[in-house]
Parts: sequence; C-alpha cells; structure tokens
Amino acid sequence: MPSFLDALKSQVGRKILTGITGIGLIIFIIFHLIGNLTLFGDAQAFNEYTYALESLGWILYVLEAGLAIAFLLHAYIGISIWWNRRQARPEGYVKYQSKGGPSKQTWASKTMIFTGIVLLVFLVIHIDTFKFGATDTIMLNGHEARDLKDLVIATFQQPLYAFGYTAVMILLGLHLGHGFWSAFTSLTMKHKEYSSVIYTVGVIFAILMAVGFLFIPLYIYFAGPDAALISY
Amino acid sequence: MSKEMTIHLKIWRQDGPDQPGELVDYTLDNVNEHMSFLEMLDVLNEQIVAKGEEEPVEFDYDCREGICGSCNLVINGQAHGPKAMTCSCQLHMRNYEDGDTIVVEPFRAKAFPVIKDLVVDRSAFDRIIEAGGYVSVKTGSAPEANSIPVEKSTADTAFDYATCIGCGACVAACPNGSASLFTGAKLAHLNRLPQGKPEKDERTVAMVEQMEEEGFGDCSNYAECEAVCPKGISISAIAEMRRNYMSAAFAGEEA
Amino acid sequence: MNLDPKVPSGPLKDKWSKHLNDIQLVAPNNKRKHDIIVVGTGLAGGSAAASLAELGYNVKSFCIQDSARRAHSIAAQGGINAAKNYPNDGDTVWRLFYDTIKGGDYRSRESNTYRLAQNSNEIIDQAVAQGVPFAREYGGLLANRSFGGAQVSRTFYARGQTGQQLMLGAYQAMMRQVHEGKIEMHTRHEMLDLVKIDGKARGIITRDLVSGEIQRWMADAVVLASGGYGNAFYLSTNAKNSNVTAAWRCHKRGAGFANPCYVQIHPTCIPVSGDYQSKLTLMSESLRNDGRVWVPEDKDDDRHPNDIPEEDRYYYLEEKYPAFGNLVPRDVASRNAKLVCDDGMGVGPTGRAVYLDFADAIERDGRDTISDKYGNLFEMYENITGENPYEEPMKIFPAVHYTMGGLWVDYNLQSNIPGLFVAGEANFSDHGANRLGASALMQGLSDGYFIIPYTVGNYIASNELDDDVTKGHEAFDEAAENAQNHIDELLNVDGDKSVVEFHRELGQIMWDKVGISRNEEGLKEAISEIQDLREEFWNNVRVPGESSNYNKYLEFAGRVADFLELGELMAKDALHRDESCGCHLRAEHQTEEGEALRNDEDYSYVAAWEYQGVNGELQEELHKEDLEFDFVELKQRSYK
Repeated sequence: MPSFLDALKSQVGRKILTGITGIGLIIFIIFHLIGNLTLFGDAQAFNEYTYALESLGWILYVLEAGLAIAFLLHAYIGISIWWNRRQARPEGYVKYQSKGGPSKQTWASKTMIFTGIVLLVFLVIHIDTFKFGATDTIMLNGHEARDLKDLVIATFQQPLYAFGYTAVMILLGLHLGHGFWSAFTSLTMKHKEYSSVIYTVGVIFAILMAVGFLFIPLYIYFAGPDAALISY
Repeated sequence: MSKEMTIHLKIWRQDGPDQPGELVDYTLDNVNEHMSFLEMLDVLNEQIVAKGEEEPVEFDYDCREGICGSCNLVINGQAHGPKAMTCSCQLHMRNYEDGDTIVVEPFRAKAFPVIKDLVVDRSAFDRIIEAGGYVSVKTGSAPEANSIPVEKSTADTAFDYATCIGCGACVAACPNGSASLFTGAKLAHLNRLPQGKPEKDERTVAMVEQMEEEGFGDCSNYAECEAVCPKGISISAIAEMRRNYMSAAFAGEEA
Repeated sequence: MNLDPKVPSGPLKDKWSKHLNDIQLVAPNNKRKHDIIVVGTGLAGGSAAASLAELGYNVKSFCIQDSARRAHSIAAQGGINAAKNYPNDGDTVWRLFYDTIKGGDYRSRESNTYRLAQNSNEIIDQAVAQGVPFAREYGGLLANRSFGGAQVSRTFYARGQTGQQLMLGAYQAMMRQVHEGKIEMHTRHEMLDLVKIDGKARGIITRDLVSGEIQRWMADAVVLASGGYGNAFYLSTNAKNSNVTAAWRCHKRGAGFANPCYVQIHPTCIPVSGDYQSKLTLMSESLRNDGRVWVPEDKDDDRHPNDIPEEDRYYYLEEKYPAFGNLVPRDVASRNAKLVCDDGMGVGPTGRAVYLDFADAIERDGRDTISDKYGNLFEMYENITGENPYEEPMKIFPAVHYTMGGLWVDYNLQSNIPGLFVAGEANFSDHGANRLGASALMQGLSDGYFIIPYTVGNYIASNELDDDVTKGHEAFDEAAENAQNHIDELLNVDGDKSVVEFHRELGQIMWDKVGISRNEEGLKEAISEIQDLREEFWNNVRVPGESSNYNKYLEFAGRVADFLELGELMAKDALHRDESCGCHLRAEHQTEEGEALRNDEDYSYVAAWEYQGVNGELQEELHKEDLEFDFVELKQRSYK
C-alpha cells in the first residue's frame, strides 16, 4: 500500500487535490464576489468590509496562506498534467475531432491550461493593484482605514483595466464551466442522473460568477464616477 | 441497387516504431455502400498488391463483429470513426458520401508504440490487468456458484463495466492519452462483486500504479473516452477508481 | 496409427473418478522442473495455461493475436450449459450427456461426452468465483434459459456476450500467472511446426509475427488449443485470423485428423452483400421464435417484399414441417434455405438469401414487444445492412459456424503423438456430428480447467523424457528449416493472383460442394478442383512484402496453403462417409422427410486420417476407432 502522501502524488491523488483546491477556490470566489457587491451598498459598506477583513490579523494571514497554497498547488498540478499529456502522446494526430455525445470536450475544457495561466498572471496583477495599491486613508467609525472603494472606482475608469478585467472574467467563466463539474467528478461524485445536473449547475454558476465579477468594472467604466448604483 | 462511391483516403504509413511516418493519398473507385470500413481497406490492399509497387497497408482486425477489440483506427480524427458505440469493423461506408476524403491514423500514445502503419502495440493493457485485474481463485477451489448471491443490480452494473473489449479507443481519443477508463472499468467490474472484494484495495492500487508506470497521461474529465467507447462504458468507472484508490491508501495508513 | 481411446473400464458415471484415482501425479516440488507449451489462448488454451501454471508447471503460452484476450472464444454469444438443475426442472448429468450425444447424432465417444456433462457444474462454480457476471434473478441467484435441443433450462448466460465474459475470466486467471512468473506469454507468435523427438512431442517452431524471426521452443509436453477450421470456407462466422495451421502442421507430423467433414452451419446469419465480403455475422437463432421464413413463389418476382401478397409467398418451412415450422433444428433450416435458393427463389442482390419476416409478429404483439425481445439484434442488423427490420423483412442465409472435427484424441485428450494434447474446438472429441447450442464454451473450459491439468501431469509423471535434448537437436534444426523454407517458397512464387482470391475460390468450392448438402459427384469434383487450385496457388500466388517484418499477407498465405490441403481432406472424408449423420448430409442418404439417414452398421466409427504426403493429390490413410455405445440406445432423429 502506498502511504497517503504517496497516494496524493499519484495521477489519481493529484486529480483529487485539483478537485479539493478547485472547490476551495470556488468557495473563495463566491465570498469574493459577495464582498465586491458591497460596492453597491451603503457609501462606506465596501470600505467597512475590507477594513473588517484586514483587521482579522493573523487569521487573515492564515487564510491568505491557505489560499496561496491552494492556488499554487492547483496551478502546479494543472501545469504538470499539461506537461504529462505531451509526454503521453509525443506524436499528435494530423486530424483530431471530438465525437460529441457524452464528451465534455468543449471550448472550456480544452482551454483549461490557457485560462488557468491567464488567471494566475492576472492574480499577481490583481493583488498588486488592490492589495498593495496606494490608497487614501479615511476615517471609518473612528479608526483609520484604506479608501479601497476610491481605488476601485479610479482603477476601472481606465479602459485597460475595465476591459482587461472583463476579458479575464470571461476566461474565469470558461475555466469554471469545466472546472465546477470536473471537480465534483474528480472528487468521485459521479452519478448517472445527478452528474448532468451538476454539469448544468456548473455552467450556470460559471456564468453567474463571470457576469457578477465583470459587471463591476464595466459598470464603473460606462456609468462614470457618479454611477447611480453606487452611493457616496 | 446499392450505391457506389469514390472515396479519397489519406492513410498513415510508417515502416516501423522508430521510423518517421506520413499520410499517403489513395483513391478508391467503386466503394460499395454496404462495405465495412475494413472491407474497403481490404479492397485497397488488393489493389496495392495487384500493382506490386508498395506493400499493403497493415492494420489490426480479427472478429469483425465488434467484440474482439483488435481493430483500432482513428478515422477523420475520431477513434473508430463517427458512429457512437461502434468499432472500426462495424462502421459501414453508407455513412460516407461520394467524393469524401477520409484521414486514417493509428491509435496514438506513447504507451501504444506503432509497429507498422496502423498497427500498434497495446501490451500495456495486458500489463495493467496483470498487475491485479483478476480474482485470485485457483482452478478447483471455487465454492458452489449459488452460495454467493449477488444483487441483480450489482451484477448488472458489474456486467456493464465488464463489457470492455480492451481496444484502447479511450486512450486514443483522450486529449491527455489517459488509460483511466480502461483501468477504471476493470476495477469497477471486479471491486463491486462479493468475489472481488477481498482483493479490492491491493487490486486498485496495483492497477493504478501500473497504469501510471506505462506512461499514460492524467485524466482531466473530458469524457471523450466515454464518447468513443464502442461499449459505451461510463466515466463513472473513473470516479469510482479514484474513490477506491484513496480509500485503499487511507486503509493502508490505518494499519 | 494407434487409436486406443484408453477409456477406463466400469460404469459410465465412475469412469472419470476411477481414472483420477489411477493416474500418476507429479510431486509439487517437481512440477517446477517441467515446461509445458500451450498454443492458443481461447477458453481451452487460456484455462489450461492458467490451471497448469497454478499447479506449478512452467507454462509458455502462445497466441497469434496482440493480446491473449482476443482469442475467438470472445465472440461466442449464446451461453454455456450445465446440469445444475437450478430451475428444478429435472435436469441431471445424465440428461445433459444424453442430449449432447443425441444432438451429435451418435457419432461421439460416450465416455468423453459423459465426462463433459460431469464437469459442467464445476465450470459454472469456477467462472462465478472469478467474477464472471452471469445473468441473475432478483433474488441474487443465477438465472437460466432454454436453448435448442433440450427440454430443460440449463443455459447460463451473460446477455449476448457469454463467450466474452468467460474468456475474460480465463484471460485474467492467465494474467495472474503471468504476474506470478509462471506463464511466459508470447503474443503475436504463430506456431508453424511441431518438433518430435523419439516419437514424442518436445517443442514447437513459431514465427514472431512482428520481427518475422523463426523461433524454437522446447517443453515436456505441448497442448494445442488453436481452435476450429471453419475458415476453410473463406466466409464463415469465425474471426478472420482463425486458422488450421497449427493443427494441420501437427497432422503433417503424424497426428490423426478425425472427422474433418463434420461442419456446423448456422441458419440465421446476415447474407453476403458482395464480393468484398470478408466475414459473416451471426444473428441469434432466437429470431426464429417470432420471424416467419419465406421466399417469393415466383423466382422472377422482383417486387419489394412488402409488395408481394400473401398468396405469392412460399413459407417453405411451415409448409414442409407443419409441426415444428420455423423452429426446426439448425441443420434442417440451413438445408432448406439452400434448397430454395438453388431452385432460384433466393432473394437479395446475390440471390443467396431468404426473408425472415416479423410483420405478423409486430401486428400480433405490437412493435414494443418485438423491440423488447429483439431490439439489440434489429439494431445490429440495421447497422450492418442499412435496412430496418421493423419496416421490411430481414434477409438471412446460413453460414459456417463451428467444426466438430479436429485432431484425434484419446480419453486423456492426448493425440496419437505422445506428449501432444489437444483441447477445445481443435480436437474432435465431444460433439459427434453436430454440436448443440451452448456446448462449445462448456467443452473448451472442461478441457482446459478440469481435464488437461490432470492428464498432462499423468503423462509427465509416467514418461521418462531425455534430459539431454536441447533446442540444437537435429529435429529442431529440421523443423525450423522446414518452416523457413515454406515461407521462402511462398514469397518466391511471385505470381499474379492474390492470397485472398485463392482463399475466396477455395471457399466457393467448399461451400458449393462440401457445404450444407453433399453428394458423391460434387465431392469428387471438389477434390479435383481443390487439387487444381492448390497447384495454381503454388505457381501463381503473389505474396507481397518480406519475411523479416510484420506482414499479414504472408501469414495469410501460409494459412491458405494449409486450407488448400485440409479442404481436400474434408471432401475426402465426406466422400468416404457414405451415410448422413448430424451436419453431414449426403443427398443420397435421407429419410423420406429429408432428414439425415445414418448407417450405424457401417459408419459407427471415428474416421482418423493419417497424412502420407502431397503429390498433386493429398495422400491420407484412413484409420477407424469404432464407437461403442454401451449405455445409450441409438435412435433416428425426427422433427416432424
């Protein structure tokens, strides 16, 4: 018998890890989106939310470390699977096409490595822009806080950011379109009837997430600084 | 009257495992719609032999009724051609139109090296079975057959997985060149039967490890394998394999 | 030729256990000192190799396919018989034995057939323990169905893929022994000769089908399980690579070939659609339960079958056999299909087909009921022919399916060459002149699991073999050279006619004159036509490519060369057997109802042929093993 650690290093184990980290990241982005939507709440709701997060202290570091590990592991395994496929079929087909039917070979599934790498690069820029971006300091309920809301609105006034983010969020949708269902299957949750339901739920979820995330930059860009949905 | 067609073929020709291969063009007139795809290749070979300029196209086949698993062609980029749940040998030319061009390639995977033309070596599959794809029961030591009742639904599901013909289309069609459906199907057949339970953990671990050692790629849940499988085996087999493998590793740690 | 069947004395039911008590054993620690070659990995070869290896022998296993799992046993559809009596319908070992020997028209050896019935139950136990997913009842116990030639339900089945499932059980058992290091597996290897030293089988010569290398293998005993020879007819339900070469080369080394003319023809196959046809596909016989067989009364009637009114149709089986109608046995159905086609009433583009019509059944029971029963078969038919059997009648025609003849063996399944054992369809032993449905799988596994392991051990224990023999022995040299020369000769002819054309022509002669119905004149013509064709073959065959690599045309050339000799022997055997029995129908010998008319007085024997040489004509000497029936009474079969 392999040790549990060795088992995790096997093809099966790695796929399980991809599924677990994938589900973890899915949960993360759900919260992320809910958090983002506070932009449309009270004037200071967004800043209060970010302040609350930052004041978690060491707990935040633990969460961030966990997220970082999940991201890196997910990316590392994804890249190694892509590398392995080149080893497993050194000479490719001259002509190749999917047979359709039960096949899940779609734009989404075939571009996982591409969308994944774009998301990884995006992540670095995203953290740099917002987590480490320069902000004004404001007073919030008696203590100092970063005016992230202002940074967000300012950033998405710029066409590069607004449309760049939008494009990446479409790719995120594609990644989730296959990833959601795939994670369940990797975690051995495959069922005669429910699997197609999971697939459909996955696609709907992917669309919701993509639309949810890309709505913010696009809205801010087109609606301008005094957008009706955002209170100041 | 049956329809006659002209068919243009681009067939992969390769002299040996280490030689480079290429697509070679052939044109066949008078292809009868009732011919099977392999019968069309027979006719092509007869023409090649009659001309005497080159060697006939080598391809594997035997039963020609879709059960032995010998035939293995990638036809226009699809393992076993366009029809669902059909082997290359059961694909008939009536599925094509006069003037069609068809590309024929071998099953491609590092673990399936080309022997010649369209013939590949699939012994990696034998080695996966060798690693544990059996119930260890010596001849003569079996108990009375009805002493082990098996729920009908369990027996039926085991049968669904046991119908695998070992053709390798799952590997050929998988973008990653994974053998997970083949390995998973045998595990899903044996692991769920009471006869197969005692060796479930060892079997699962051994077969999964052998599969990896043979150089097959990872499974990314594309399900293309299920789409090309001539027996329509579900990728649920793969999910089950993962479950059984991880639980075997857990059980190993406990002890 | 010594044809002593070595049947143990005593009552029928005690013979096998008495024999097991008497045979000699090899001590466990000595078994590893003995090598055994097994040729073929089907049900018989696979089960024999696995069982011998489990006992501790070193087994070398050979097959021509790229994997042991692809042997042609995989294609068997129907089921496997056993006398379990699970349905409580009164089945016994005796009844299974009796049905089998009667079905074989009293041309098999009582003792062997009885042992087959005795072993049947253990086969089911073994297969179930291996995880073979047989059909089950809702209570979780095994299900049975009925099959032709029996009044009890004794057939175990795994949907329409029983052969595949049993085959995979045997293959997996083999692979386990490969893993243990007890079986050395050689796939894509073809046996080309038998090596005899001091009169005993001591090895084989093979060709590595990938590299073309001629190789030598030595052993203490050789088990041949290389299948049947139905492909002598070119078109048959056999797999394309099924061939007689291994058995025929043993025959040329002195092994008797028994009853070569016993060939079973299956009535419900998909007809030939054109010259390019490469093989025939069987459709389950169960279709005749609801389908009505007919042809147009007027042979020039070229209307679509749906436009031919009732009064212009000839329901020949219903008219000739009012009691059994469309459900007459296989041989009767086949023969009558040929008769109407010979009279010009056949349908389809080739005129070699009859209609099997479900219109009445669909009207009576509804399309859904028919679809429940035969949906899969209808789909398969439509896939192959492009015609929808719900809308228009199926076309069917008989096809060669199984060969009851084979190398002669005694009670130990040993040929007349000591050390050469023959199992499964390759031997002649259990089915007489006709095999009942669901008996082939039973015989292959009985031979391999439960007979060969004991009798080969007995041979090894009771024979002193010369330990100094090596693969450099002159007998090996001679056989290897012989094999290489044969290949070189084939390549050197360099004529203009392809191997396939010769095979097709041979098949046509065999089908027309040594097929469903035979007569003296036709058989004599066949013999001379085959001789001419053989001569033409050796002067005008074109075998492309080289001998030193993968070359399927070369493989086929060798096999067709052997079929060209065997075909003549089949015709000779059919000609000499001046009676009808089972599948062998001599037109001269029929009852008034057109049934096979046996002549027990003169032909109650096994005809074992000894090869003497080929000199324009195939020279064979006939030897007879008289069949003694001490326990059953011989009767005339009747299906009216």
